[in-house]
Amino acid sequence: MFNWLQGEQYLDTGWIGIAVTLMVVTFILVNIRRANKNADSLFIRRISGLNAIDDAIGRATEMGRPVLMVPGIGVLDAISVQAINIFAQVTKTAAQFATPVRICCANAPVFAVAQEVIRDVYTQQGVGDKFTPETVQFISDQQFAFAAGVSGIIHREKVAATFLLGAFYAESLIFAETSNAIGAIQVAGSTQSTQTPFFIAACDYVLIGDEFYAASAYLTRQPVLVGSLVGQDWAKIVIAGMVIFGTLFGSYEMTGMTTEHRTDNQGVSSMTPVEAGPDGTVTPERVKKSDTMVNRFFNPYTPEELVTIEREKKPAEPEAETGGGGE
Amino acid sequence: MNNTIFLLAQNTENFWRKLPGQGLVIWVVIGLLLGIALLFAFTQVPSNLRRWIIVGFTFLAGLPYVLAYLWPKPIGADLQNDVPRNLSEQIGFTINQAIDPVGKITNVLQAFLLGVGIFSLVRVHITKVRRKSENWGFSTVLLVCFALMTTVGFMDWRQRKFMDDNGLLNEPSNWGFFQYANDLMFEGMYQQMDSAMFSMIAFFILSAAYRAFRIRSVEATVMMASALILMLNLMGALTYAWGTGIESLVVQTGNPFFMNFKLNVMADWLRSTMQIPAIRAIDFGVFLGALAMGLRLWLGLEKGGVSS
Amino acid sequence: MTFWDKMQKVDRRILYVILVVFVCTGLFIPVKIPVEPDPSSKDFYATVMAIPEGSTVLVQTDWTNSTRGESMGHFENLMRLLMSQKLKFVFYSAADPVAPQVARTVITRINAERKAEGLYVYQVGKDYLDLGYFANAEATNTNMGTDLRQAWANRTSKVPEGGEVDIFKTDVLKDIRKIGDCKMMVVVTASASIDIAIQRLANKVPITAMVTGVTGPGVLPFYQSGQVKGIAIGLKGVYDTEYLMANGINISNGDERPKVTWAKTSSVDKVAEGKTFARGNQYYGTLHVALVLLILAVILGNVGMFMSRRATRKGGE
Repeated sequence: MFNWLQGEQYLDTGWIGIAVTLMVVTFILVNIRRANKNADSLFIRRISGLNAIDDAIGRATEMGRPVLMVPGIGVLDAISVQAINIFAQVTKTAAQFATPVRICCANAPVFAVAQEVIRDVYTQQGVGDKFTPETVQFISDQQFAFAAGVSGIIHREKVAATFLLGAFYAESLIFAETSNAIGAIQVAGSTQSTQTPFFIAACDYVLIGDEFYAASAYLTRQPVLVGSLVGQDWAKIVIAGMVIFGTLFGSYEMTGMTTEHRTDNQGVSSMTPVEAGPDGTVTPERVKKSDTMVNRFFNPYTPEELVTIEREKKPAEPEAETGGGGE
Repeated sequence: MNNTIFLLAQNTENFWRKLPGQGLVIWVVIGLLLGIALLFAFTQVPSNLRRWIIVGFTFLAGLPYVLAYLWPKPIGADLQNDVPRNLSEQIGFTINQAIDPVGKITNVLQAFLLGVGIFSLVRVHITKVRRKSENWGFSTVLLVCFALMTTVGFMDWRQRKFMDDNGLLNEPSNWGFFQYANDLMFEGMYQQMDSAMFSMIAFFILSAAYRAFRIRSVEATVMMASALILMLNLMGALTYAWGTGIESLVVQTGNPFFMNFKLNVMADWLRSTMQIPAIRAIDFGVFLGALAMGLRLWLGLEKGGVSS
Repeated sequence: MTFWDKMQKVDRRILYVILVVFVCTGLFIPVKIPVEPDPSSKDFYATVMAIPEGSTVLVQTDWTNSTRGESMGHFENLMRLLMSQKLKFVFYSAADPVAPQVARTVITRINAERKAEGLYVYQVGKDYLDLGYFANAEATNTNMGTDLRQAWANRTSKVPEGGEVDIFKTDVLKDIRKIGDCKMMVVVTASASIDIAIQRLANKVPITAMVTGVTGPGVLPFYQSGQVKGIAIGLKGVYDTEYLMANGINISNGDERPKVTWAKTSSVDKVAEGKTFARGNQYYGTLHVALVLLILAVILGNVGMFMSRRATRKGGE
């Protein structure tokens, strides 16, 4: 009936991934709606790294030194946007105390967005004149030129606090150790799980994994953000349930025996019979991980007849000139 | 040199792409005029409506990706040469063909924004030099290097691209001033400084290990022990010698259980049973967070911060 | 202040000097060390060696000179492997505009090395293509997965016969209509560009990776799940690959036991031609020295902490 709707991504079990994604989306939207109706009913636990923000700014104000913020070196994506959202909150507090702010960017689009957002924050706080070209700076889009530039600012301006939130790579330890050397309070968080250990070794407070995304909900308590966070938690519970079910069911399946194994080659699946012995008898073999139904949930079984479709070709067009052809 | 490659010449025509020729030029002109008209129209929009324009554009920009994810993609289709079999496939073809132009629009926007970034960099440092603020000497070095590298890099590229049909400049013996200057500044200076900055991490790791890696609790002891196994496993000589010892022990005792104590076996177990699941769990949280963030931005649900 | 208290507050510059002296010494003593290659390295090697001669491989090279200690060894090994297997390849970068230039320099050097050994020299436009840098990794990988011919439309390459032709008319890409027609995609990187490649392309083309030691653990979950077919990780991965190129898997020399054994595959040959032990061999000894130093630093730091605590306790009694 739905033959006309058959698409590459829906073949065999392909629809499961899309269904799970849509379920997560529904969880988030439903909870945002719930939160909009009654925000107080939803609870978020304390995040110690974020409690430290006010202390850090207070210290910077007392010392009369700037607060440094770096939104990572990633491109303009959800991570950088989230970092800028957190920095907007930090800047709001800093602007109230007239504490200077330095935001260093390694990506031009991130810089352009950060500049607009932070300028708005200053204007809303009624101290628009305190926003200078040094407040938000583009340093370099080359990783270590950026690392050198920011380390220079940390040393020269003797910043009192550093906020390193976003996508960091090898430069994470350079920033963290340089700040440590001048005794700045450090709050850090990276979505790169491989950089988190470096931050933990060298920083005072670290946001691990999705705490980074929870930060703006925690700081602002906006119903949309709180609701979205609760939706994410629902999704995590379902995923944990799927992991437990998958582990048990997959383990059970692998105790069975089979006479054919699944093989995949260039996106085409097939079943290969177990080779017969010298006397022609086929001895069943233990089910492999790739033969299980749990594996099939994530890797659709797509035999030749399902993925080969003959289509008419467009009539050949006069060839467009591409390239110089040695002219 | 054929100029068509600079005029968005496309090798196949579809809804999103036009073949070179008069038709293309007309489309480019219409697009340009439309863009300018829109720009002026936006400046006249009252500020309470601006948010909705931004939300609208964000939604439109994300729509092709969402549709491409959800709408059935024609199975095994050659998007350039095949003819769609039915309406569903026709829509699928159009959506998937839209992915490329939308991606390229973001690239064009990024190129413009790079200009904004460079403007900020130059403005900050020119101001410092003009006011003779503290450390203005460094700013002078930055500005001079910036100008030199840009000029030398551009001239070298220009000469290699347009004045060297036979590839003579690939041989250092044929180099002129700009090739030598580019080599000195890019290979000789920039690349080496890049490596030097990265190498400094070794020092930081050593001092961080000395300072922070202390056995203060049971958890810290467990972590230290597993870190030690992983570090020892990186030393091939030690792993090999240890493994040979274990193998001879197994031969002597006849008990294969000892094979579990080979360094590489222990390290593999730690990685695949402890480290990978932990990273995967953190990744689940991170990607769910990214999905929620993307969804809020795309649907314009966020207020304040970037969305205001 | 006791000796141990002083050790607790040792000037970090002293640690730095010790590190420089020991690491530099190690660099001058290249030793062929027997190793047990990691399973992920064996999988990487076996995957490359299984590709039929003359096939096309995509190489996304996203490293620059900063991580050359690891990534340059990886890239050199990859080039030697592909060239000895007579595979065609396309290289480009989706992460850093500097990366293609660094890759070009390596290819020139490997070609010179092959010329000196009397082996076939790879030619641009015939055996490999240089597509340069693509901005925006997300969009680049998505476009490549949706329609490779459209994503790379209008790109031209110099050819050995002279002049420039459309890349899809060269020997390297003439039979490639979609990304699945390429036998493998290798990502050589020091950043999360491998994550993006996996997200966008893992179900369209077999992906393998050569990554730095720090990036490695982040990619391992995808290796365990089968989305990445094999990974060479860090300097150990560089040396593993060289060791595998020289010894193969389950290949015995006469009566001798195979140097590398693996239950997962039957046997994988050594490489047929060219250099095997190179940069990995040169640096691997240094890694040993650096790790010993690091372990010593941790032990000393802890012993110092215990001793000074004990001294404080005694003083308090």
